[in-house]
Amino acid sequence: MKAFGGYHPAVTFTYFISVLLTAMFVWNPVIQLTALLGGIMFSLMLVRKKAILSDMGFYISLFLLVAVTNPLFSHNGVTPLFFMNGNPVTLEAVIYGIFISVMVVGVLFWCKCYNEIMTEDKFLYLFGRIIPKMSLVLSMALRFVPMFKRQMKNVSRAQKAMGLYSQKSYVDRLRGGIRVFTAMISWSLENSMELSSSMRARGYGLHGRTNFSLFKFGARDAAVLLSGLLLFVVVMIGVGSGSVDFTFYPELGKISLSLKSLITYISFFILSFLPFFIEVKENLKWKYYISKI
Amino acid sequence: MEILHIENLNFRYPKAEKDTLHNVSLNIGQGDFTVICGATGCGKTTLLKLIKNELSPAGEKSGEILYNGKNIDSLRLRESACAIGFVGQNPDNQIVTDKVWHELSFGLENLGVPQNVIRRRVGEMASYFGIQDWFRKKTDELSGGQKQLLNLASVMVMQPKVLILDEPTSQLDPIAAADFIATLKKLNTEFGITVLLVEHRLEDVFPIADKVLLMENGCVLLYDSPRVVGKNLKKINPEHPMLKGLPSAVRLYNLLSSDEVCPLTVKEGQEFFRRNFKRNIDFSDGDKSEFSDKSDAAIELKNVWFRYERDLPDVLRGVNLKAVRGEIFCILGGNGTGKTTTLNVISGLNKPYRGKIKIDGKKIKDYKGNSLYRKKLAYLPQNPQTVFLKDTVSGDLEEMLKAMEYKKEEREEKIRDISEKLGITDLLTKHPYDLSGGEQQKCALAKMLLSEPTILLLDEPTKGLDAFSKSSLLAVLKKLKSDGITVVMVTHDVEFAAVGADRCALFFDGEIISSDAPNSFFAENNFYTTAANRIARPLCPTAITSEEAALCCRGNGEDNG
Amino acid sequence: MKKDILALLSLALIIAVLIHGTNIQSVDEYYLTHIDDITPQSETVFISIHCDTVLQNYDELDKALQSDKYVPQNGVILPETEYVLRPGDTVFDILDRAVRYNKIQMEYQGADKNSYGSVYVQGINYLYEFSCGPLSGWMYQVNGEFPNYGCSKYKLKDGDRIAWVYTCDLGKDVGCIWMGDETG
Repeated sequence: MKAFGGYHPAVTFTYFISVLLTAMFVWNPVIQLTALLGGIMFSLMLVRKKAILSDMGFYISLFLLVAVTNPLFSHNGVTPLFFMNGNPVTLEAVIYGIFISVMVVGVLFWCKCYNEIMTEDKFLYLFGRIIPKMSLVLSMALRFVPMFKRQMKNVSRAQKAMGLYSQKSYVDRLRGGIRVFTAMISWSLENSMELSSSMRARGYGLHGRTNFSLFKFGARDAAVLLSGLLLFVVVMIGVGSGSVDFTFYPELGKISLSLKSLITYISFFILSFLPFFIEVKENLKWKYYISKI
Repeated sequence: MEILHIENLNFRYPKAEKDTLHNVSLNIGQGDFTVICGATGCGKTTLLKLIKNELSPAGEKSGEILYNGKNIDSLRLRESACAIGFVGQNPDNQIVTDKVWHELSFGLENLGVPQNVIRRRVGEMASYFGIQDWFRKKTDELSGGQKQLLNLASVMVMQPKVLILDEPTSQLDPIAAADFIATLKKLNTEFGITVLLVEHRLEDVFPIADKVLLMENGCVLLYDSPRVVGKNLKKINPEHPMLKGLPSAVRLYNLLSSDEVCPLTVKEGQEFFRRNFKRNIDFSDGDKSEFSDKSDAAIELKNVWFRYERDLPDVLRGVNLKAVRGEIFCILGGNGTGKTTTLNVISGLNKPYRGKIKIDGKKIKDYKGNSLYRKKLAYLPQNPQTVFLKDTVSGDLEEMLKAMEYKKEEREEKIRDISEKLGITDLLTKHPYDLSGGEQQKCALAKMLLSEPTILLLDEPTKGLDAFSKSSLLAVLKKLKSDGITVVMVTHDVEFAAVGADRCALFFDGEIISSDAPNSFFAENNFYTTAANRIARPLCPTAITSEEAALCCRGNGEDNG
Repeated sequence: MKKDILALLSLALIIAVLIHGTNIQSVDEYYLTHIDDITPQSETVFISIHCDTVLQNYDELDKALQSDKYVPQNGVILPETEYVLRPGDTVFDILDRAVRYNKIQMEYQGADKNSYGSVYVQGINYLYEFSCGPLSGWMYQVNGEFPNYGCSKYKLKDGDRIAWVYTCDLGKDVGCIWMGDETG
C-alpha cells in the first residue's frame, strides 16, 4: 500500500518539502484547497480508513475553531456582518479564517503523510550522507537508548524487590532514581568497553570508510524526482509572477483565471496528487496481476 | 597445514604478580575446531585476545604468535581485521548499530568496500544464516539467540579464516545455544574455517571438536583430541575440578575408571552403559516424600492469571504452585513460557489480575510497604549486575544493612559473617563490575541474604557459570536450605536441577504441567531430561546423574535394589 | 493529546470571548449615531482625517489598497468637520462618533488590550498600520501638536482642532519630531 514510500528518500524528501513550502507560503484559495484535497487523498492511501475517520473529528473541530477565531480578532474588511463591542465582524475576516483553517488542516495532513513515509532511517540516510560520521553516531545512539532504558528498568525492579527504596514520597523516589542513574553510568562505561572492542575487531578506524545503505536510486526515482521538481518550478514561477496573488483585505479579490494562473493551478494539482496517482496505479497493477493469476 | 602457530607465549598484565599465560605453545591446523576449556582465571580469554591483534590487552608479552607463518604483529591492520573474526560473550554489547542490515554491513563499511559489493556480500550472508526474515528489523527487537547469530554473521561477512569465540553461548538458553553451536560446526565443515571456541558448556561441543585445549593456571594442561583428553584428565589429577564439567558420557566413563575408548556423545554413552551395566536400581525410592503438597507452604499460588497489558495475551494462565518450607524448588521450562513472570508475581513486582498468592500463609496484598522484602523474601534477578549500585561490593552490602537499620558494629560483623559464608571476603573491596560472572552471582546473593529472608527466589542462577562455580553455588544453596530457607528457582539447566532440587516442576504455556521429585520427574520426561538420564534411560530410567548411572554399573550392592 | 489541544484552544477562545464581552450590534444599529445639533451655546471641536503621505509613497502601499476607494486622490478621508463637544470627551470619542456618522471603517485596540492604557487606533478606512511600509501608522494632532500619549486619554476643550494623519515614516513626514527622536 505504500508505493510512494518505496522511492528513494531523496525523492520523497524533496517532494514533501516542495509541497509543504507551497502549501505554507502561497496564499491562494485554489492552491490551498488543492493541497488539502491532495493531502487527504494521499493519507487515505497510507493510513487505515478507520484511523482517518477517528481523526476526522479532530480536524473538523480544529477547522471550525480556527475559522471562528479569526473574525473575533481581525476586524478589517469592507463587508461588516455585525458589530461586536464596537468592532465589526466582517465577511472578509470570516473567509480569511476559513482559508487559514484549510491551510492548517492541509499542512497537518501532509505532515501526517510525511511521518508515514519518511521513517527515521530514511532521514538518517539522507543526512548521514552529508555528515557520514553523524549517521553512524545516530545509529549507535538509536541502538543504545532502548538498551539503556531496559537495563534501567531491570535495575530499578531489582532494587525495588530488595525493598531498598521506599516508594512513599516523591523525594524518596527521586533519590532512588538518582542512585539507579549513577549506577547506570558505570554500566554504560562497562558496556562501551565491550562495544569498542567489538568495533575494533571489525576494523573500525581504518581509512576510507564507506557508507552502505539499502536505498538505490533508480530510473523511476529520477523520473519522479525530475517531474516533481519541474512541477514545483512551474508553480514557483507562477507564484513569482504574481499570477496567483489573492487579496482578502479590505475586499476579497477575484480568483485569477488567466492562462498563467491556470497553468500554475494545474501544475500544483498534479504535484499534490502525484503520490495519490502513484498509489492508485500500483493498486490497479496489483489487481491486474492478481486477476491474471 | 597449520594456520596458527603459538610458540612459548608468556603474558603478564601490568602490576600483576605472576604470568597470566606461561610458556604456551600450540599448533592449530587449518580447519581445526578447537575447544578451549579451563576454570575461571586460567588465562583462556587472555589467550584469545592475544590472538586477535586488535583486542590485545596491555602487558608484558614474550614469545610468538604466527598466522600463516607471519607474526601477527606484522600483519597489516586491514588483513588482520578480516582474517581473524571475534565473537564475545554478551550478545547485546557487541551490536553497534540499530538495524540488522546495518550491523551486517558495519565491518565492510570499515574496510571501505564499495556499496554494490557490500550489498552482495550482506545479502549472501543473510541468506546463509537465514536472517532474511528479520533483515530490516531493529537489532533491539531480536532475541538473545538471534543477536548472537547476528554477531557471528556480521563477523563472517568479512570472510575470516579463523573464528575465535569467547563463551558465545553462555548467555543463551539451551535451544539457542545448540543452534549457535550447530551453525559454528556447519561453518567449520562446509568452509573449513578454523574455530577456536572457549566454552564451559561442554556437553554439546566436546563431541564435535577436533581438538580440546585444557588450560590450568596459564599453562597448557592437555591439548589433544576429545577422546584422549577425556581419558587422560583423570590420570593427571583425579580431583581435577574440570572433571565435573565434562560431558555426562565422559564423566560416567571416568567414574567407572574404564580403559575402553572414551565415549563422547549420548549415543556412545548408551552403548558404553549397556556394556558395563550390572543391575537396575530404582532411584525414585530415594525421593523421600519429605516435601509434598501436604506440607506447610512457604509460597502458594492458586489459579494465578497475569498479562502485561489489557490487549496482550495472557502470560500466566492459571498457575497453581506450592513451594514447601525449607525445600529447593526448581521451575524448568523453555523460553517465554512465563517462568520469570511467575517469579515477578511472587515477588510482588507484577500484580496478577486473577488468583491468590500467599507468602508464608499471608496474602501478598497484606504485606504493606517494604515488609515483604524484610526478613521474608529476596529475589535475585537473572542479571546479578542489576543488584549493585555502589563502587565496591562492601558498599553495596553496607547499603542493605543500613536499610535494615543495623548499627555500625553490627553491620561490620554481619558483613564479615556473610562473606565468610559465601567465600567472598577477598572480593569486598573490588568494583562489582570487575568480578567474573560467578563472583558477581555470589556477591549479589550475599546482598540478598543480608535482608535475612526465609524465602529466596532465583532467576537462572547458573547462567554463564562454569562447572566449578555451579558446584559452589549448589553448596551455598544446600547450606541455605539447612538453615531453613526456602529456595525457588527458575532455570533452563536440567543438570543443575537434577542434582540440586528437592522438587522440579515443568512450566509450559503459562502454567505448571507437572511437578515431582527430580528422579521421578525426569524419569517421566522422555526428552526434557538430563544427558545422564538419556544415557541410562533404556536400562535404568530413574538414574538422572552420571553418579547414579555409575552405581548401576558397579552393582556392588551398595543399594537395596 | 489531540483532544487536549482542542479543549485548550476552545477554552482560550471562550475566555477571550468572555473578556471581550458580547455586545452585539447589527450594522445599522452601529452606524445609527446620534449627533448633537450645533447651537450657538454648544462647545465644539474640529476633526479631520488625512492620508497625504501615502500619495508620496504609493509604491510602498499594499497592492490591495491601491485604489481611490481607500486612498482618495486628494488624501482627505474626512475634511475638517465641526462636532459638539460633550463634557469629558476625549480625542477617541470624537473620532469614534465622526467615523460612525460618516460610515468610515475604523479598527482599534481597546485600552485594556495594550500596555499604554489607552485606545490604539490600528486602521481607518482599511488603511492599517504597516499598510504603507514598516514605519507607517496613524497619529493624531491637536492644534498642530502631537501629544505624547494615547487618544483616549486626551481630554478636549472648546475649539480644539484634531487632525488624524497617516505617517509613512514614524511621524517625520508629518512634522512630528519627538517620535523620530525617541526611536532614532
